[in-house]
Amino acid sequence: MIEFHNVTKRYEGGFEALSNVSLQLTDGQMAFITGHSGAGKSTLLKIIALIEKPTRGQALLNRINLNTLSRHRVPYIRRNIGIIFQDHQLLFDRPVFDNVALPLSIQGYRPQEIAKRTRAALDKVGLLHKEKSMPITLSGGEQQRVGIARAVVHKPMLLLADEPTGNLDPALSREIMKIFVEFNQVGVTVLVASHDLDLIDELDKPRITLNRGQLILNDLDQSQEEDGGGWQ
Amino acid sequence: MAVAGSNKRRRTPAASNRISAYLLHHLQTMMFSLRKIYAAPATTIMTVAVIGITLSLPGGFYLFLKNIDAMSGDFRSSSQISLYLDLKTSEKQAQALEKQIAKMEQVISTRFISRELSLEEFRQNSGFGKSIDTLSTNPLPHTIIVEPGQADTFAVRNLLNSLQAMPEVEIAKLDTEWLERLYTIIEIAKRSVAIITILFACAVLLIIGNTIRLDIQNRYQEIIVTKLIGATNAFIRRPFLYSGIWYGLLGGIISWLIVEIGYLAISGPLERLNLLYKSDMNLITFSFHDFIVLITSSTLLGLAGSWIAVARHLNQIEPS
Repeated sequence: MIEFHNVTKRYEGGFEALSNVSLQLTDGQMAFITGHSGAGKSTLLKIIALIEKPTRGQALLNRINLNTLSRHRVPYIRRNIGIIFQDHQLLFDRPVFDNVALPLSIQGYRPQEIAKRTRAALDKVGLLHKEKSMPITLSGGEQQRVGIARAVVHKPMLLLADEPTGNLDPALSREIMKIFVEFNQVGVTVLVASHDLDLIDELDKPRITLNRGQLILNDLDQSQEEDGGGWQ
Repeated sequence: MAVAGSNKRRRTPAASNRISAYLLHHLQTMMFSLRKIYAAPATTIMTVAVIGITLSLPGGFYLFLKNIDAMSGDFRSSSQISLYLDLKTSEKQAQALEKQIAKMEQVISTRFISRELSLEEFRQNSGFGKSIDTLSTNPLPHTIIVEPGQADTFAVRNLLNSLQAMPEVEIAKLDTEWLERLYTIIEIAKRSVAIITILFACAVLLIIGNTIRLDIQNRYQEIIVTKLIGATNAFIRRPFLYSGIWYGLLGGIISWLIVEIGYLAISGPLERLNLLYKSDMNLITFSFHDFIVLITSSTLLGLAGSWIAVARHLNQIEPS
């Protein structure tokens, strides 16, 4: 699913966010990216989400080279990815339902289909009864769950989450992680950047650890051998 | 597994459904944009009022010219050419010439005034009766009054030249030089209105462009988010283009109202003036055709203005 070959990302001004990172995440795998802030977690996710391009090395998503992808194909590639942000990035000018339905209307689904799938996604995160509420009236945990519903409503193959529990208390964080594990169980590849090590320890999932842009720990290949990865 | 191949798994909508969903999406975007500009009444009223006032100026000038044009059309039909014949021409020859000219294509009617009749008229009207009696010969020529068929000054000029070229004609005189001056002034006014219209259309483009630019800045976050979940530029552009269309349409209606109200305000004294001149001229207001042209062009200006803003600013916004 995701392949990095010696990927280096250097920002203007010379700061190197990623140095020579190579890794491989297979279909259906779930993994965590850990490390201190500034270690390069977000940059790694941004390269996969086509927000940044590698300075050197190759990044592949489903064997598509992200370095050379033309601008007009970017939206279509992104439709296979669900992104969850730390600050959930909801649109506050419209109700929960419209927020969650957005990926579907972008892709031109019919209203009946949109309604069905949106309600299913809201049900999945336990917020079906809030579909008419405005996001501002929801609690932080509820807002994050709406963000998750929006990220999964179009059934993406890959779920990326950047510090999804950063602003939540431990109980809520656990609940959010549980939702990710459930999605992984139905075949979605999940990559979560987090520095909440206690929570990660509870879940028996492989880790990628970064330090100052360098890969210092990578359990991905091991776990792939253990559980057969997700090769089909 | 390629990304595109995943569509099979995800059961994307069928083609026919996609088209109806596309049209429906356009309708939804249209209504969404309308709700947006309705939700910000202060901005909307200001923008629409500025567009309306801006467009009402060329609109009003246009209407004014249209009236002047109609009025001058009345004068036009009254233009005459007087032919003063050579003194050696006999009355018989002159009458034959009149018949010949009457048959000409560009001529509606002719009238023959013999030199005797002219002298008689002059004696009665001028007050120089006694001094005329002292003359041994009649100094006045036979005269033919020609009424041209075409109102166009160029055609009248041509006719004048061809009449002047006739051997019997001493002097051919067009009575309407002042009218020509009027036409020239009207022509200048028409071109000025065209220039004003172009300038004000540009102003409307800038006004709408600026409003949409601010709108784009206000919805920066929304644009970023929709880009991140896979919206194409066309999808993001659409609501802004519809906003521009709405601004243009509403501005056009306002400008029409302004011109109509202005017209009502001056129609009272104008009618009195009409009465004083014993003219049966009816004042002309916007026809349905004019109304449609005004509304369509303001709507298109709205679309063009928002397109410029969107093309300039939307591509610069990328998630980071």
